[in-house]
Amino acid sequence: MTDATMTITREPMPPGDRRSSRRPGPWHAALWIAPAAAVIVFVFAYALYQLVIQSFKYKSEWTGWDNFRIVVTDPLFRTALKHNMELLLCVPVLIAVALLLAIVLSETIRGHTFFRGVLFFPYILPVTVVGVVLGQLLTLNGPVNTALNGMGLGKFAADWLGDPNIALWTMGGVIVWKEVGFGIVLFLARILSLPNETYEAAALDGAGFWRKHWSITLPQMTGVIAFYAVTEAIVMVSWVFNYVYIMTNGQGGPGDSTVVTELYIYRSAFQNQQIELAAAAAVILFLITLFLVVIFFRLQRKSLLAVVGE
Amino acid sequence: MRKTIKAAALLGVAALTLAACSSGSGGGTTSPSASGGSTAASPMATGPVTLTMHWWGDQEAPGAKKWLDAAITAYQTAHPNITIKETLETTDGLIPNFEAAAAAKTPLDIQYFWGGIYAQQPHWNGNTAAISDFISADELAHYTNAQMEDSYQGKIVSAPWYVNPSFPVLVNKDLLAKNGLTVPMTWTDFLKTCDTLSAKGIPTIAGGVKDGWFGGWLYSLLGAQSLTSQKQVLDAVVGNAKFTDPALGDWWTRLEESQKHKCWNSDINSQELYQAQQLFVDQKAAMTVTAGPDAPNFATKAGGPDKIEVMAMPAWSDGPLAGKIASSSQTLGIPSWSEHKAEAADFIKFLHTPEQLQAWYDMTGSLPADDRFDLTQVTDPIKKSLFAGGSDNVPYMENFIPAQLDSDAVFKNVQLVLKGSETGAAAAADMQAQMERLRTTDRDLVTNFTNWASGQ
Repeated sequence: MTDATMTITREPMPPGDRRSSRRPGPWHAALWIAPAAAVIVFVFAYALYQLVIQSFKYKSEWTGWDNFRIVVTDPLFRTALKHNMELLLCVPVLIAVALLLAIVLSETIRGHTFFRGVLFFPYILPVTVVGVVLGQLLTLNGPVNTALNGMGLGKFAADWLGDPNIALWTMGGVIVWKEVGFGIVLFLARILSLPNETYEAAALDGAGFWRKHWSITLPQMTGVIAFYAVTEAIVMVSWVFNYVYIMTNGQGGPGDSTVVTELYIYRSAFQNQQIELAAAAAVILFLITLFLVVIFFRLQRKSLLAVVGE
Repeated sequence: MRKTIKAAALLGVAALTLAACSSGSGGGTTSPSASGGSTAASPMATGPVTLTMHWWGDQEAPGAKKWLDAAITAYQTAHPNITIKETLETTDGLIPNFEAAAAAKTPLDIQYFWGGIYAQQPHWNGNTAAISDFISADELAHYTNAQMEDSYQGKIVSAPWYVNPSFPVLVNKDLLAKNGLTVPMTWTDFLKTCDTLSAKGIPTIAGGVKDGWFGGWLYSLLGAQSLTSQKQVLDAVVGNAKFTDPALGDWWTRLEESQKHKCWNSDINSQELYQAQQLFVDQKAAMTVTAGPDAPNFATKAGGPDKIEVMAMPAWSDGPLAGKIASSSQTLGIPSWSEHKAEAADFIKFLHTPEQLQAWYDMTGSLPADDRFDLTQVTDPIKKSLFAGGSDNVPYMENFIPAQLDSDAVFKNVQLVLKGSETGAAAAADMQAQMERLRTTDRDLVTNFTNWASGQ
């Protein structure tokens, strides 16, 4: 039995004070958090500390900002970062597609479970499977182009992954296809939790499909949309390595057209044996991702405050 | 939140991995001479020893695994206290996995390396011991290409194992004859062949550059033709010449010509190398390029000596290396952290005994990297042609440029030129620019390559 419990037993408080008196002290929370915190410190903080230290060294000697200077002036790193930024353009596409499909699903009565399963399916597939299969489907003489030619749509056939002008966007399309299921599930859950009365009232007032969702659904979904936008932005900045590695055989090609920051880090560390440069690039990527995480928490807090305010 | 956790986990894992590598890569900063461990004088252990070997398997020499298994059994019978365990590596995993093993100091005693820069770089990083510290100079003098590709500051860094004639062009004579053509020996004839066949929708030469590696082959097949020795390439690496100089850069224009004359299969950019070669086997392309050790088997699959001819890339220059098949040897090295260097070296030497050399040829049909192998027994015309090239000591140029230049400039620009997105001149300029960049990002590059060049 803890001291806190004993205090409550010995000296009963007036009803109005009971709640505050039973609140555990700060040490109590710390005790519960301690095991997880210890693991996090051991696994992440120490590694991060070593990473940062390494980024300022070369052959165990302190070299100040040298590694960062080399990395940020490296045209390949800047190209990689630019590609990550370009992939951010997939985020609004993801939001629009996921939102549209979630709304359509919410209004679908027959077979909605089946359709939900179909749309969520790509999200649970391993990236390796997606990369290998789509990599084959999208070759110049592959099934996709063969089908397009067969349907008389040959002008839309392209060297999807072999043309440097479109390879990054093909990659973006694959990422959207795989990631959209997550957005659909999030948005659908939110839509199904919205009160039905508002929609019934709007219907009585003659509101159509678009009007209902534009004026009723969307305003109530800003929190979950913001959450999805930030998490997908993090994906585009620091979670696309698998796609690029699998679909381009680790080359980021053709040319440099699909090189992303994670691939730059991987190649620096494990192909070119330049651990220090990889560390510097990883620190930069970490800071960018941290920035996005901070935005996420701010949005989440704002959203929570709005809910509490209601 | 799940995605946030995933992102955080990725960063954490990346941080942890890099931290582990950084703290464990002391070897990466050790000078080659400080590789330490046992020396040539170290006696063979009498107690139980387990040797771990990582290698590339049958990928370019089918039958190699069967041969190695038999060789291991024979060696273990002769040395009952020694057990040898082998692990196969993929092409993409060969270098990164060795680097990871070096960082973690995973037990490893024998490691497969491609020749030249791929054997040199690990030694420069302090991750391999010089094989000449454990095998005598007299013995190593028999190992094909040891001096040309694997010597550094008076030492041999890795032991040649088998020869990779690099790279033979296979020609389907029947397909050419059906279209009124003969085997093109010069570049002009080759382009004419391309014009004729492309008009009929037939690719003259099949290849795939999606995975990059074929780009390196093309660099050697075309780029070596205007050079006189590997020294010119090493000079360009350290800054004493430029990759835009005519001798070093004109091959890009030849590559551009081949693209304009539609010599290649149209999907070359979306095919991997080995996928694209199937077009040749299926009689849908007149020519292809394949790995030297596998060429005899490959030629048999495609129709045999009556139908298939093996040759060097059609010559576009009158340089001394034009029209010749280069020679490179795949090697076995000993990691600097191995605790059984003497035993590992003894096993490598065992692989060069006359019985093993003969068994290698019998099981793989390819050439062992040892001049004690009796070449007179080879009667097959394809093998004779290949082995003659393989024994000529013609340098394979891809092995003399930094591996990073290979991937960042050669692989990349070959893809762009073959897609028609870039001119040959622009590719040469980019290769020079990438080289200048690498001299900045790799702070030991100039010193290491200068030392290497001084021994050539």
